[in-house]
This record gives sequence, structure tokens and C-alpha cells, in this order.
Amino acid sequence: MIAAESLNELKTNLREDQISKNEDSSPFGNSGDMVVFPETEEEIAAVLKHADSNGLTINIIGGGTKRGFGGLIEKTDILLSLEKYTGIVEHTPGDMTLTVKAGTRFKDLQDYLAQHNQKISLDPYWQENATIGGIIAVNESGPKRLGYGSARDAVIGLRTVYPDGKVIRSGGRVVKNVAGYDMNKLFIGAMGTLGVISEITLKLRPIPKCESLVLVSFPKGNLEGIKAFAVKVLDSMIEPVSLELLNPALSVKLAGINAYTIAMSFEDVESSVRYQEEFVSNMLPDDAKLLISPKEKADLFWHRFYRHIPNGLDGELPIQTEASIKIGTVNLEAVNVLNETELLQDQFNVEIESHGGLGHGLSQVTIRGAESDVANAAAQVRQIAEKAGGYAIVKHLPLKLRKKVEVWGNKPSYFFLLQGIKTKVDPNKTLNPNRFIGGI
Amino acid sequence: MRTKDRIKSQDKHILNLAEIVGGTRSILYQKEDLVAYDCDGFTIHKHLPKAVVFPKNTQEVAEIVKYCSENNLPFLARGAGTGLSGGAIPLNGEIIISMVRMKKLISVDLENRRAVVEPGFVNLKLTNSISDKGYYYAPDPSSQYCCTIGGNVAENAGGAHCLKYGVTTNHILGLEVVMPNGEIVEIGKDGIPDAPGYDLLGLITGSEGTLGIVTKITVRVLKNPEGKQTVLAYFDRVEDGSQAVSDIISAGIVPAALEMMDKTAIEGVEAAAFPVGHPKDIEAVLLIEVDGIAAGIEEQIDQILEVCRKRNVREVRAAGSEEERARWWANRKTGFGAMGAISPDYLVQDGVIPRSKLPDVLSRINQISSESGLRIANIFHAGDGNLHPLVLFDARIPGESEKALEAGSQCLKVCADVGGTITGEHGVGIEKREEMRFVFTEEEIAAQTDIREVFNPHNLLNAGKLFPSPGRCAEVKKEMKAQAIS
Amino acid sequence: MSVRELDLKQEPPCTSGLGNYLWSDPPDEKKWADCVHCGMCLESCPTYEQTGQEQHSPRGRVHLIKSVAEGKLQVNEQFMDPVFQCLDCRACTTACPADVDVGGLIEEARGQIRQAMPLTGVKGAISKFFLHDLFPHQNRLNTLGGLLKFYQKSGMQKAVRKTKLINIMPKHLVDMESIMPEVKEPVKKKYQDVKVIKAKGETKQEVAMLTGCVMDVMFSDINESTINVLTRNGNDVVIPQSQTCCGALHVHAGDRDMGRKLAKQNMEAFKDFDKVIVNAAGCGCMMKEYAELFKEDPELHAKAEEFSEKVEDISKFLHDTGYEKPKAEMNTRITYHDACHLAHGQGIRQQPRDILLDIPGVDMVHMPNSDRCCGSAGIYNITNPEMANAVLESKMENVPDDVEMISMGNPGCMLQMAMGVQKYGRNQKIVHTVQLLDWAYQKEDGVKEGKE
Repeated sequence: MIAAESLNELKTNLREDQISKNEDSSPFGNSGDMVVFPETEEEIAAVLKHADSNGLTINIIGGGTKRGFGGLIEKTDILLSLEKYTGIVEHTPGDMTLTVKAGTRFKDLQDYLAQHNQKISLDPYWQENATIGGIIAVNESGPKRLGYGSARDAVIGLRTVYPDGKVIRSGGRVVKNVAGYDMNKLFIGAMGTLGVISEITLKLRPIPKCESLVLVSFPKGNLEGIKAFAVKVLDSMIEPVSLELLNPALSVKLAGINAYTIAMSFEDVESSVRYQEEFVSNMLPDDAKLLISPKEKADLFWHRFYRHIPNGLDGELPIQTEASIKIGTVNLEAVNVLNETELLQDQFNVEIESHGGLGHGLSQVTIRGAESDVANAAAQVRQIAEKAGGYAIVKHLPLKLRKKVEVWGNKPSYFFLLQGIKTKVDPNKTLNPNRFIGGI
Repeated sequence: MRTKDRIKSQDKHILNLAEIVGGTRSILYQKEDLVAYDCDGFTIHKHLPKAVVFPKNTQEVAEIVKYCSENNLPFLARGAGTGLSGGAIPLNGEIIISMVRMKKLISVDLENRRAVVEPGFVNLKLTNSISDKGYYYAPDPSSQYCCTIGGNVAENAGGAHCLKYGVTTNHILGLEVVMPNGEIVEIGKDGIPDAPGYDLLGLITGSEGTLGIVTKITVRVLKNPEGKQTVLAYFDRVEDGSQAVSDIISAGIVPAALEMMDKTAIEGVEAAAFPVGHPKDIEAVLLIEVDGIAAGIEEQIDQILEVCRKRNVREVRAAGSEEERARWWANRKTGFGAMGAISPDYLVQDGVIPRSKLPDVLSRINQISSESGLRIANIFHAGDGNLHPLVLFDARIPGESEKALEAGSQCLKVCADVGGTITGEHGVGIEKREEMRFVFTEEEIAAQTDIREVFNPHNLLNAGKLFPSPGRCAEVKKEMKAQAIS
Repeated sequence: MSVRELDLKQEPPCTSGLGNYLWSDPPDEKKWADCVHCGMCLESCPTYEQTGQEQHSPRGRVHLIKSVAEGKLQVNEQFMDPVFQCLDCRACTTACPADVDVGGLIEEARGQIRQAMPLTGVKGAISKFFLHDLFPHQNRLNTLGGLLKFYQKSGMQKAVRKTKLINIMPKHLVDMESIMPEVKEPVKKKYQDVKVIKAKGETKQEVAMLTGCVMDVMFSDINESTINVLTRNGNDVVIPQSQTCCGALHVHAGDRDMGRKLAKQNMEAFKDFDKVIVNAAGCGCMMKEYAELFKEDPELHAKAEEFSEKVEDISKFLHDTGYEKPKAEMNTRITYHDACHLAHGQGIRQQPRDILLDIPGVDMVHMPNSDRCCGSAGIYNITNPEMANAVLESKMENVPDDVEMISMGNPGCMLQMAMGVQKYGRNQKIVHTVQLLDWAYQKEDGVKEGKE
């Protein structure tokens, strides 16, 4: 519990209304005894410096959508919320770069950029709630990663507040930069364990002039056929922005098609999009069905897609326990991973929605069911992933179960390097303690 | 290929290292041989290595590294030695570990769009090995004909086409690395993305060989675009040309490449091996390439032509044939070497600026040119803001080299001052160590050397590169402390 | 050689020396001034490909040569090694964006080395035998050729091969022996009393022809073919009897004095002609560079430049002056090897290919890295057999399997490639480009005659 004098010291740097006692508790943990709402980078630095020099611990929170992601502690001393640290710092449309404060919500950014016909080329979940800082800190990506890359490809500069209050800039505001180590990479996906990302500079892309969604479904569920189709697409001249396989349950939910379905997004000038639609319809296997949707319908599909996984923002747990797991494998292994996880539905009496990127190798499995069934199924998913030569990370699970199900899996052989970096940057384990792999 | 079988040296380290790599043909230690290793593509600093060893496999690299580490011998890795910032120069009389004999293409898996190579494998050979199947490796530095992929990883190499496809780091999926203590680690197993933990792949790529020695690389390969077209545009004013660049990009076109040359650069390329007949009196030439689905290319080309016309272009046209396209690119790609045709020596800089600042930056570079009395040509990856000012000078005139270095440094200062950076693809190496202070504070530099300490605690691996010599910063204190202890 | 003799050789140190180059005709500073050490030459170099070592790369060699001039290195055995490992294939000159004349530098450096350290021992003896006692003396070559002919005709060749007597020869000489072309009468000797070999039909012009030293002995039928092709296309051909070896081998070996002597003789022998036709790429390249040998003598330098203008490879000459396309079908699958001194040395790549493709029924298969050195490099395959073999092996890997012939424009390459074919169990015939053209003409004539 935070001492009174400590509170007083904090008050010298922040206004009274920026600090509050935190009586609520979240079933997902990662909370704090006290919540602070810094509005400037100096305030963030002051809070960190104070905590770090007084042996206090800090959890960092943005939109709260990833509260169920990692962490074994219900409350640290301080919950640092970036909710009020928002806004665009600089946008130069001609340079196609954007600098923004970390607490800014993703959808707000995209809405603003749309006025300039530009966008951030990431497609994370829960875009209305998630902050850009949170998305970068966990390195979240969606199906369109195939076409546009991930956070590590889009971020060109960061300002990160170190636990001792130093502000470290990495990268810059230009799209090409090899001055010094590529420190951006270190902070992207670091789960807030090295510093608080305060400002983010991203390179932008133009909003495509034309967009369409092509759904190819396989009613017979013939896996070899699905794989063969994907290989053919990948080996052809067409350039789908996504090549995401959905399991039948997810396909029903998003498009009303009860079969394995490949979702391809085409985004380019109109003549090119039409050509690619045609190309797919000409290469359609006999046992597959094709559905082409124009932009408006495509938008609706993707809107549903980005909201189909559990959200850590919920204050109360739903009746069914929910888990969400990210799996990484070699690209086409995703087909097998999805297929094997289907079997868990009967085995553990759970519901499973899953999708996997056949061009980038990342899959996501969402499990819903009774608490112990979900925990067992989640453990089984990891085995499936590892058998396929990959890894599994539990992205969402109530705190209680996170203590039972290992979130990050085994430590890699080079863990000493990860530990070494953490010790250098945050020797007192002030930030997001135990949130990351191997207890970092 | 000498057939002596005995090492003519009394030095026990030479003898021991020769033992590790298996004899006389895999080690150089005599001055006449070592001279060839006293610099890389950056020739202003030179230093002889203690020896050069040629390991055949990861195990040998690990043993060499372990030996060096245990015996406190400084060491570094070298690929083809085409780096332009001096990253492979043995400043401290290092043992050079040459990776060129580890040059196998280990595997290609086109279905999963990846290939595994040894570090000495030459960049262009990868594309050549898979082009018959319609695939290629995207990063295309100008030296791709001879530079190694291991070196590309160390320097995070770019190229003319990185505007659309990104630089090396965007194409690296996995690495096997020998750590400075000799331990072998595998990062990004099988090229699977987002391995749990900090992104060491991203950190090591571009670390200029100071964090570890890469011994195996998994890269992403891409499908060839279906169509390709290039447009050439002449402008009477640099401002118009640079505004056209912004307009093209704002119009929602993502060109595969977007290059600009100024008047002096045009004079150079026209005097050299591949002239294409650019008019002598224009201020800027733009070369714009779009690629992708063939059906969509014409639409984009029309738009580019229209944008250029709006910006008072004197002449603009799309290439009439593949042969014409190739000629335009040969003219541009040999741009650096072409400066030899109008100047005995040149110094190339590698600043990056926000695109929109180009007219401002060019006028400031002109000022530097007139103040120093040296001509400066500009070759510009306009799409991504990567500016290569080429300072023309004559090293035979006493004092002119120094003047050129100073002018180059001033150009970088200008880039940094407008919110840009000091290097976009050539790396810091030895050349731009001091200029690091233009973009980073002492604290920020210390944050980076802190990371180096985790990997390379005794700084035996490629010391003296990338960071400014300890000045006022924390490193001095640390060194003093270390000296006090020892 | 005793120390005293060496001292004598060095006396007096030439005033035109440079750094640690103490002798006359040192490497030309201007040649390395353009090298920015970019490394674009590395992958083009066969010896770098084999060793991966920079001192065996073009820029490494340039760097070493420069370092001697800067006084950092001595002209000694360590320096000699990289300089003499060079195949002189000139591939680096093609690769270099700044047009650095690496080949020229190497030859100049070799000149210095040979003056500092004359060859001794077995290597010296071999080198002296080939360079001084054999190649410049046509009659001796002819005698040797005669002996070879006797050797082949008499059945001794068979006997030697059968009895394994051959095994006592050093391995690489055995390889060479087995591919010796059948020796016929040299054309220089054959036409010694013919002043002008008249064109068939109307004469368009008169050309002189270099018969070459080795060429005329070992490949006299190629010279015959050259004459046939030239006369058929309206050229009177003259073979000046006072011509001699072009000197390329001597200059490659660092014996620039002998090179100069031979150059002067040839310049004199051909002085009355407007065109000097050469069918050996190595000779043509050398003769186009005679001026390099006379940097210290402005008068001869100018004369050499003038001479070089007249020298032309047969394929380029035919291509530029026009030739009759043969009508008979040859029906053969071939591939083409770019001789270094044609492709890199003289920039002649397309002309021979065009000629070959003009022959009806010739199906040309692309050879990857066709302009990669085969390892012959003059007498390099005799002096540096190990490297030459390694280079040959990687060359043979690129020869397509399904071709019947490999065509090229240089006798040294032909010997080396023939050795490669034999050694690696391949079955291609090795032909000179003009031979194929000549055969096509002959077939056409044969068909005609048959019809008539």
C-alpha cells in the first residue's frame, strides 16, 4: 500500500484530480492501488521517477482492452493510465508521417487521418477502445499484416520514458533511419516492461481507392484442398492484403457461412481490384464457393471481425470463461493448427473461434466454456502449437486462470539476453512487474 | 591459394586460431595479405588486422569467438567489405572473421515464402536463384552484385526499392547468432514471426556487427510484381520537382521507387558510362517506378503524368520499352561512380529528411557548397527522403579532403536540424560516430551502449564503431571506474 | 642466383621509380587513382570466388600495388603471390563502375616483380622454355608441332597412353597431353610463298592476318577456316612472314622487355596494312594494348596507338564489314563461351553470337556466367595448375548438358575447355566461331556441287 508521504510527493507533480484511490478491482488484474492520469510527458516521468526511487511498482494501462494479457499481480502500487495523455502531436500529410501521444485511441486516429485519405496500416482488435500505445506495446496485428506488415514495420520513432524518468528517443520522423541501434524494435511488443511509450511516430499509407472482400468457402472442409488453394494464390501474381482462414464457427459469426472460409481483401486502384476478383473466381476449386463483397459490406465484415475476441475492458466476467491465444507457426502450418484445435471443442466441451494467416503464420484461437475446460483446452492449444514447431501465447485470460496456465510458454535459450536487457533498463522491476516472459 | 603447409609465425594466437580453422589456407597473418583488409568501402581510416580467419561453419565461428573472448583479443566479422561507413575496419587491430566462405543457400521454401542462407551468400544470388520461379529478395542495395546478406543484416541495408518494400529489417525472419562469448543462439526459429520476448531480431539487424556474429539467416522472399513501369520527368525548378514527389504520394500512389537527381548530379551521370541524354539546363530529374497488378498500372501512370504536368514539368514520359527503362535505371544506379567523371574524388553522405523539407534543405546545401568552394551533387531517394549529397573534391590539393569532410558533416547537420537523421542506409560505422550527437543526447547514446553491454560486455566485438568516442558522457565515468578497479 | 647478381640487376635504380618500385616502367598511378574500393569487382573475380580472400581480388590487388608505391610494402615474394595468382581475365574491368584498368596494373606490377626477382628453379626453367625458347621462334614451334604430329600419327601416342608411360608426367601435363589437337601443317608455312591469297569473287579490301604462334601450330585448321571465311567475303588475305608471337604471354608473365621486342617486330611486320585480323582473343587484346608497353617512349607510344587501331578480331571484322549468311543447315545445339580477352578485353560479346545465330540450324543454348574465365589464361594453367583446375571446374558446372558443341574465339580457352570436357566426362566438341561458319559454307558448297 502506498504511503501517505509518497502520495504527497506525487501531488507536487500532478493535480489532485489526476490522482485517485482505486477501489475497483478487475477480474483481469493488472490494476493498482492508486490510479494516476498524467497529461504530459513530464508528469509521466515524474510518476516513474518517484516510483522507481521509492521502491514502488507501476502497472501501465491504455484503453484496457489487453488487461487480460499477461501479469500475475492483481494490483501494483500505482496504475498509470494514459487515458488523458492523448492527441496528435504532428501530422505532415506530404511526408505521410504522424506523431501521436500514446493514449490516443486507434479509431480516433483513423477517423482523423481519413480526412487526408491516409491511414495507419495496422488492423488491431477493438479499435474504438484500444490506444495506439497499447497496440504498439503488445505488437498487435491483424489479418492485413500480410499486405502491410506489423507494428515493427509501421513505427518509425518513439519517445519512451525510462523508469528513472529519462526520456529516450529512438528512431525519428523519417521513414529510413539506421543511426544507432534500432531501439524502436526493443520497445515494440515489450509489454511495457522497459519504459512507458509516450509518443509514437508512424509512417502512413494512402487509403486505397478501391477495396473488396472476397470470401472463398470450402463446405467440405477439405484441408488439403484449402492448402492447395492458398498455395496457388500465394504463387500467383495477385496481391491479396489478407489471406486469412476462418474456422466454420467464426465464419458463421462474421459472414453467415458455416464452413472453413478464406477471407481475402483486395485494396488497390479499381481496375486492379476487379482484375484480382476475376482472377480468384477463375481459379476457384470445384468444391469451393465464392462471395465477393464491395467496400460497405467488407467494412461490416471487418468491423465484426475486430470485435470477435474477448475484451479486457469488461468489468465483470461473462458467464462463460473466455480465453484468447495467439499462435505463431510457419505460414501454411496455420491450416493444421486450426484443424487440430477444432477437435478440442468436443474433447473439452468448449466453443472455439479461430483464424489463421496463411501468408504470415499467425493464428488466433478464442475458447469459450466452463473455467476448467477452458484452462485445459488452452493448455492443449499450446501443445498443438509446439507440435507444429511454433509457440502459443495466451492473450486473454482472467487473472485467476493466468496463474494456472503459463501465459508465455517456456523461456527461450537466449533468455539471459532478455533478462539482461530488463535488468539494465529497469533494474528495480518497477514497470509492469511479471507481465512478460519468464517473469520479466 | 598457397600450398605452404606450415604457419610461418611464432605467435601462439595465430597458431591456435589456425588450428581452429584447419590450417594455412584459412588464415592470413602476413602483412602483405593483411593490407588488403585494412579498410572496407570507407577508405579514409585504415588499420591492419592482427589476422584474418575464414571459418567454414557456425561451430568454427563459435570457437574462434570463444578463443578471442577468453584471450582478450578484439575481433570483428566482415562480409564482402562493401560497407560505406567503415564498419569492418579493424580499428583496434582486430582478428577479422571473414564470413565469405560461409556462402551456401541452405534452403528455399517458396510455399512459405522464405529462404535460409549463410551470411556470406551474396544478395543478388538469392534473387537469381529463385527468379525462375517468379520470386525475389526485396532489399536491393546498389552493391547487391557483391555484398553479402550477412553484411546487409549488420548494416540494415536499404536500396532503391525500399520505399514500397522496406529495408533489410523488414525481411529478416530468423537469425542464428554467435554471441561475443561464443554461445550460439537461434532467434526467430524457422522464421516464425513475433517470437515471445523482446524483439532481438530487430535489435541485432542494423547493429553494425557490435552485438553478435550472424551465422545463419532466414529471409522473406516475395513474388515478382506482375507489371512494372517507369516515368521520367524533367523540372526547371527543384521546388516543382519536390512538390510533384509529395503530390504523387498524396495522390495515394505508393511507387516502388522514386528517385531525384539535381543539376550537378545530372552533369555527372551524363558524362559517365551510361548517359541517356538528359537536358543540360534542367534543375531536377525524377524517376518514378510503379509496380504491382498489371491491370492497375496504367491508371497510376496516367495519374503520375497528370500530377507532374500540374507542377510545371518541362517534359514527362513513360518508358517506351524495357530497354529504355533499363537504360534510365543504369544511368541512375551508377550515379555515385559517375561522379568520377567530373571530379577526381567524391565523398558521399547519407542524410534523411522529411520529404517536404527538400527545397529548404537543398538551398542550405547549396550554401554549404558556396561557402566551402566545393561542388555538391545531390542524388536523392525522394520517396523516402534519403538524400545523398556527393561532395566533389580533389584529394591532391592539400586541405581539400578535410574541407570535404567538414562540408559533408555540415550537410548532415542540416538534415538533423530539419527533423531528419544522419544515415538512412550506410550506417554510422567510424565515419559518423561524432555526428551521432546531432540526433541523440548523451543519455540516449548511453541507453544504446547499455544494450551493447548486455550482449558484448567486454566490448571486444567491433569496438569503436557506431557511437561517439566517450566525451562528456557517462561512458567516461564508467571507463574511469573500470580503470580504477583494474 | 647470387645476391651479387641481384644487386647488379637493381643497379642503377631507375629515377622513374615510384615508392618501393625501383625499376623502370612502374605501375601507373593514374590507374589506381580511380579505385574507390567499392568492391563491385569482387564477385567477378575467379580467384576471389575460389579463395574468398581479398588479396586475391581485384581491389585487393590494386590496394597492394598501391601500397608498394606508398612505401608500405616491398616488392617481395609475399607481394608476388597475389599479383601472379591473377588470371588476367579482365572480368573486373567490366564490373568496375569507374573503369579501373586492373589488368594493366597487374601486368606493370609483374614487370617490377620479374625485375626484382627473376625466376629461378623449375618454374623459371619452364617459363624460360615457353617464353624465350619456344613461342617467339616459329621454326622451333613448327618443329615441336612436327614432333607432335609424328607422335600422334606414328601410333606412339596410343602406345604412350596404353603403356601408362604417360603417368610419369606431372598430372596436369597428362591432362593437357590427352587433349592435344591433331596437328596439321601451319598456314604460315603453307602460304610462305603466296604473297596474297585472293578473295573468291570480287575483292572488297585487303587485310593482313596474324597467324599466331601456338594457334598456327596446334590449330592450323582454324587459321585455314579464317582464311576461307575472309576470302569468301571479298577479302584478299596477306600473311606477312616477318610477323611473330604477339607477346601476350610474356607480358602476362612480367617479361615486358621481351613483350616490347615482339611488339616492335609485329608493328614493323604489319606497317603496310590497314587491317590486321586476329582470330585469337588473347593476341588481339594484347596487340590493341601495345601502347601500354611504351609509356616511356612517346614516339613508339604514338606508333603503337596507331597500330592498335588497325587490329581487329575476326568476329567483329566480319560483323562490321558484312558477311554472306550461309545457306546450309548445320542442325546442331551449341553454347557459346565468352573468351575473357574478347568479352572483357575488347568488349566483343554480341558479334560472335550473331554470326553463330546466322548459321541455319544452329540452336544456341545460354551458358550461365558465360563470360567467366575458364582458367586457361595463357600459360596460367601450366604455371598455376591448382587454381586453373578449380576455375575450370566451376566453369564446367555451367556448361549446359544437352549441347553438342561449345564455340569460342580463343585457342587458349579451346585447349582448356577441351581438357574440361575430357576431365569431367562430358562429350562436347570444342570449336572456334569461324570454324562453324566455315563448315557451314563448305557444306553449302558441297550441297551445291552435289546438286550440280
